Amino acid sequence: MLVFFYLFAAAAVLGALGVLLLRNPVYCALSLVATMSALGGVFILLNQEFVAAIQILIYAGAIMVLFLFVIMLLNLRSDEQFIARWNPGKVVGIAMALVILAQLVGVFTSASATLGPAGEYPAERIAKEGAVEIVGGLLVTQYVLPFEVASILLMVAIIGAVVIAKRQIAKPSQEGR
Amino acid sequence: MSFTLSAADFLSVLPESILFAMGMVVLVFEMFGTGRDTRNLAYLSLLSLLVSGFALHRLAGRGITGFGGSITADPFAIVLGMIFLLVVALIVLVSIRYLHDRGVGHGEYYALLLFACGGMMLMVSSTDLLTIFIGLEILSISSYVLCGLIQGDLRSNESALKYFLLGAFATGFLLYGMVLLYGATGSIRLPEIAAAVNRSEVRGNPMIWYGLGLILVGFGFKIALVPFHMWTPDVYEGAPTPVTAFLSSAPKAAGFGALIRILTEGLGALTPEWSQVLWVVAALTMTVGNALALQQDNIKRMLAYSSIAHAGYILVALVAGGRDSLGGVLFYLLAYAFMNSGAFAVLILASSPVRERVTFEDYRGYGYVEPALALAMVVFMLSLTGIPLTAGFAGKFQIFKSAIDKGYVWLAVIGLLNSVVSVYYYLRMIVVMYMQRPTAEHPPERVVPSVPLYVAVAASALGVLYLGVFPAGWLELSVRSVTSLLAGG
Amino acid sequence: MANYLWLIPALPLLGFVVNGLLGRRLGHAAVSLLGPGVVGLSLVLSALAFIDMVNAPELRLSQSLFTWIEAGSFSVPVAFTVDRLSGLYILIVTGVGFLIHVYSVGYMHAEEGYHRFFAYLNLFIFFMLLLVLADSFLLLFVGWEGVGLCSYLLIGFSFERDAAAKAAKKAFVVNRIGDFGFIVATLMLFSVFGTLQIDAVLAQAPARLTAGGTLVTALTLLLFLGATGKSAQIPLYVWLPDAMEGPTPVSALIHAATMVTAGLYMVARLSALFVLAPATLTVIAVVGAATAFFAATIGLAQNDIKRVLAYSTVSQLGYMFLAMGVGAFSAGIFHVMTHAFFKALLFLGSGSVILALHHEQDMQKMGGLAKRLPITTFTFIIGTLALTGFPLLFAGFFSKDEILWQAFASPAGHPGLWAVGALTALLTAFYMFRAVGLTFFGASRVDPHHARHIRESPWTMTVPLLLLAVLSIGGGWIGIPHLLGGPAGLPNVFEHYFDGFFARLPAEAAQHAASTELLLMAVSTVGALFMMWVAFRLFSRDLAPAARLRERFAGAHRLLAAKYWIDELYEATVVQPIRWTSDRVLWRIVDAGIIDGIVNGVGYAARFLGGALRLTQSGVIENYAVGIAIGAVAILWYLVF
Repeated sequence: MLVFFYLFAAAAVLGALGVLLLRNPVYCALSLVATMSALGGVFILLNQEFVAAIQILIYAGAIMVLFLFVIMLLNLRSDEQFIARWNPGKVVGIAMALVILAQLVGVFTSASATLGPAGEYPAERIAKEGAVEIVGGLLVTQYVLPFEVASILLMVAIIGAVVIAKRQIAKPSQEGR
Repeated sequence: MSFTLSAADFLSVLPESILFAMGMVVLVFEMFGTGRDTRNLAYLSLLSLLVSGFALHRLAGRGITGFGGSITADPFAIVLGMIFLLVVALIVLVSIRYLHDRGVGHGEYYALLLFACGGMMLMVSSTDLLTIFIGLEILSISSYVLCGLIQGDLRSNESALKYFLLGAFATGFLLYGMVLLYGATGSIRLPEIAAAVNRSEVRGNPMIWYGLGLILVGFGFKIALVPFHMWTPDVYEGAPTPVTAFLSSAPKAAGFGALIRILTEGLGALTPEWSQVLWVVAALTMTVGNALALQQDNIKRMLAYSSIAHAGYILVALVAGGRDSLGGVLFYLLAYAFMNSGAFAVLILASSPVRERVTFEDYRGYGYVEPALALAMVVFMLSLTGIPLTAGFAGKFQIFKSAIDKGYVWLAVIGLLNSVVSVYYYLRMIVVMYMQRPTAEHPPERVVPSVPLYVAVAASALGVLYLGVFPAGWLELSVRSVTSLLAGG
Repeated sequence: MANYLWLIPALPLLGFVVNGLLGRRLGHAAVSLLGPGVVGLSLVLSALAFIDMVNAPELRLSQSLFTWIEAGSFSVPVAFTVDRLSGLYILIVTGVGFLIHVYSVGYMHAEEGYHRFFAYLNLFIFFMLLLVLADSFLLLFVGWEGVGLCSYLLIGFSFERDAAAKAAKKAFVVNRIGDFGFIVATLMLFSVFGTLQIDAVLAQAPARLTAGGTLVTALTLLLFLGATGKSAQIPLYVWLPDAMEGPTPVSALIHAATMVTAGLYMVARLSALFVLAPATLTVIAVVGAATAFFAATIGLAQNDIKRVLAYSTVSQLGYMFLAMGVGAFSAGIFHVMTHAFFKALLFLGSGSVILALHHEQDMQKMGGLAKRLPITTFTFIIGTLALTGFPLLFAGFFSKDEILWQAFASPAGHPGLWAVGALTALLTAFYMFRAVGLTFFGASRVDPHHARHIRESPWTMTVPLLLLAVLSIGGGWIGIPHLLGGPAGLPNVFEHYFDGFFARLPAEAAQHAASTELLLMAVSTVGALFMMWVAFRLFSRDLAPAARLRERFAGAHRLLAAKYWIDELYEATVVQPIRWTSDRVLWRIVDAGIIDGIVNGVGYAARFLGGALRLTQSGVIENYAVGIAIGAVAILWYLVF
């Protein structure tokens, strides 16, 4: 199990690094797909097959396909760099990221770092009752409010996208200004 | 597993639900609307805010909780909710002409404001991290879009993009902090987190501390505390002025509300540590905000930096803690809402699509061109400075009084010194309006009258003066409202 | 009983509102009637209140209006108190204020914004009365800040001149530094006493605070910092001379008679607190004496008539603080009163001269005006004699002598303090008679262009001058020392007026022989008389000897004329570093990239949204993100490790 975990984790981290470091936007997007899929693997290891399936379907599938479409429609050439040249800010930024990484390693390896009490749904119970039933049940009972409100959140995001897109359609002459 | 929704559940989120529902109604109306004239939508939005406020008012004193305790309509949430509704109402008033003049035919604007308002109310009435986070994101995403709403305005677009990218960055910190807290305590509910943290062995868990730190960073960004403030002036300057007015008061109030709830109800046991961190942050925030405001020629930028400084003053009260201080926060938030919205309303009223008046120079001799408007601006500037008989003084007094009372003498001294420095740039506005003649490049012009804007300016000015001369009522209410927070936590 | 007290400040407030909002429509005549009228009514009520107070059983009246701030156990009512100190002050404020209002009708009649001027003046009177009548620290602070604000508005009234606007700003900012001390002290008092009622704090002070302890010393020093701001003492005196850019009635009202005495009022009112801190009292005495001397030396070399008077004000305020510092609160307040009369008189007299000469303030371009402006000359000389302490007849003599004697004889006194005070008296005599000589006597050096038009001022200006002249002479007689008054059967009314009002120093005064008092009085008086004679000789005829003298001491003269370069020193050591730090350090480094952001960010960001997805360089955002990360690391490090 542990071997698989490290395998998936390494894949996720590598994918994320690829998003940051690769120059061709298409490769970047594909790296993101790799990361998302690897995360799906991690969910499987946690006995969350349902979440894993959703993760891969939605992120690796739907959303990333959309990303790729957009990138291709915009017809970006591979020499369009996403990465600025090295500058002091970037060096400090990377240093800070490394410090945060070190801090996190310190936190999680610390002897006194303990997890809180286990939840009400151990793996056996999930296996018995079925992940879909449990997640679905929780969403419409205990977490019905966040679930419903999340739909407002998504709608706001959609409105935002529409407003910005509509503007481009309404006033094409504004482009490139 | 039995689960039923009771009337209390629905009642507890009624004010938010009204706003969300009306937001959608506004969207639908916009589809069938009459082209670019969005004024009816504005009045519909005002009506929604009023109805929501009425619902909120009816909730007061009933102590309703809903959804297994994850929503509470306690006095703290209700008072803050009223402040949000008031700010958004003022923003709607100041937006009507602005949008109309600039041909921004987006009815979505008002819908987004309503959604944002609902998100803020959700943030402060929620007692679990998940709902707080969703409320915060509704607010944030609405804000990003509102920033970039003006067509073809590069500044507006840039502002939206910067806000979005950095906001997403900060959200990452916040969410990770919440996750660590959940990991360490096994719950996302604040009361349960508090119970876990009160056990001494959990208190030594570095995950708790790391989670706390990340949450402070996340909220620090939303409230624009130093050193997480750098986005503020760029975003505020670029955003459409009514949106800037909105961003510089309401979301900060919501951020403070949620932060106070998390820190007192959830992490009250860690007070000595987080208040030390916030001590330093408060001192930095006040000082850097003020020092940078000194340099600005653009009033929107000046107000942006000054809003940072004011967040620092409010943070002083959070550091000091206790009933009087936290009551002072509520008082100050309302006072700031009035004076800040008022100042922006004057800027909006004085500007036209042909000529934006956003630098100090634009207001040369304004006191003689528009005496009433200039006088209102004087009231707002004096209040921001903290001159007695204005709301700003009463608020600052309450905050620094309770800080010194709690033994935070040096922090109060830093705050008061900053307040002295701030005279310099607020005064500049009065100087240019009354003590300089208009020049050829900056000719005086009468404003185009607009009833909603006049209403906004007058309401803000009266609010500032009322809170300054008769602060007792609101102050008492504020102090009483935080009592439940401290007792219940 | 005393339920009319609220009207005393309310009337000027009404005047402010009406003049401010409707003044333009009301017209010149109505404003001329209303502006002084409300203050006159206020004066009548003040007199009534004073009489009621003297007859009241506990020698005090009070009226509570409503609760201003209330939070938990903390509550501040809006309430007014008239006792012996505030009773005297409201008489001075409304009395001198009324005369100056009347004078302004004549002085300002041709100015633009006439109604605005009266609105500001009325507002000032309102805040000053609020300050004086306040029965809590918070209300006192409202008045305290309010007078600062009005002072700012009035100094900058003739904003056409750049200097006026600058001076106004300087006054406000310097005052705010002082206010900072005051508000910190107020908040500390609250945390110690749990109340902000002045009476309650003073009553509990001896029990709650250790005499001579650190806390009370810190508190009183902070309060004194506030007083140095308002009352123009070292190190915060710099705003007052510049404030002379305001119209002359303003200089008379605010910068001589009333606002600048607010600091003294506060110290006197809190005498019970100050006597608990001997160290602070010593500081006050030394600062007062030093300011008195320092400002007097600067006054020697000024050529602007109003600046001479301004430095003399700073110097006289120093005297008053000297009195407070040696525990002679009553003597200090006595000098506040007499000074209000003669300094208002002098300023109004100078205003009369300035108006006659078409706003010429340089004494080198005056001379020989005595014949053309008889009333002004006569009253100005009376004011000068009062200020310089010409013996026996004039108000200033008695109050100044009382202070000098206390500086010597009080338990907190010191011969050194007396010596500085006496020396200052000589300098004062010199520079004031220099001013009289240059302005009114000798050959005329007036611009011939204006010389033909010199004409005595209208009655609205001369009548106040005459009335103030009467007060300058008579005002001192209520405080005749026993030494002189005793034999003639004249009681020292003033001393007994404050019997038991001010806190006393713990130590008993050493007994001094009457002959010592007489000797000291004689020394300072004869010295002053001699200096008057010298100065008058030098400056009222041929100016050549004076010019030779000046060349002989060119270095010293330049130092004094440049006011010891104190303004430049502050500019270099305080203002510039703050500006530099803000500009270079914070702006350029802490918020680096903002400027770049404007230049670079706009284009790229816009194109990104425009559809080109060409976000090749988001350096700005990157830097901001790095800033967030640094902050995050610091906080996390502190919390976890």
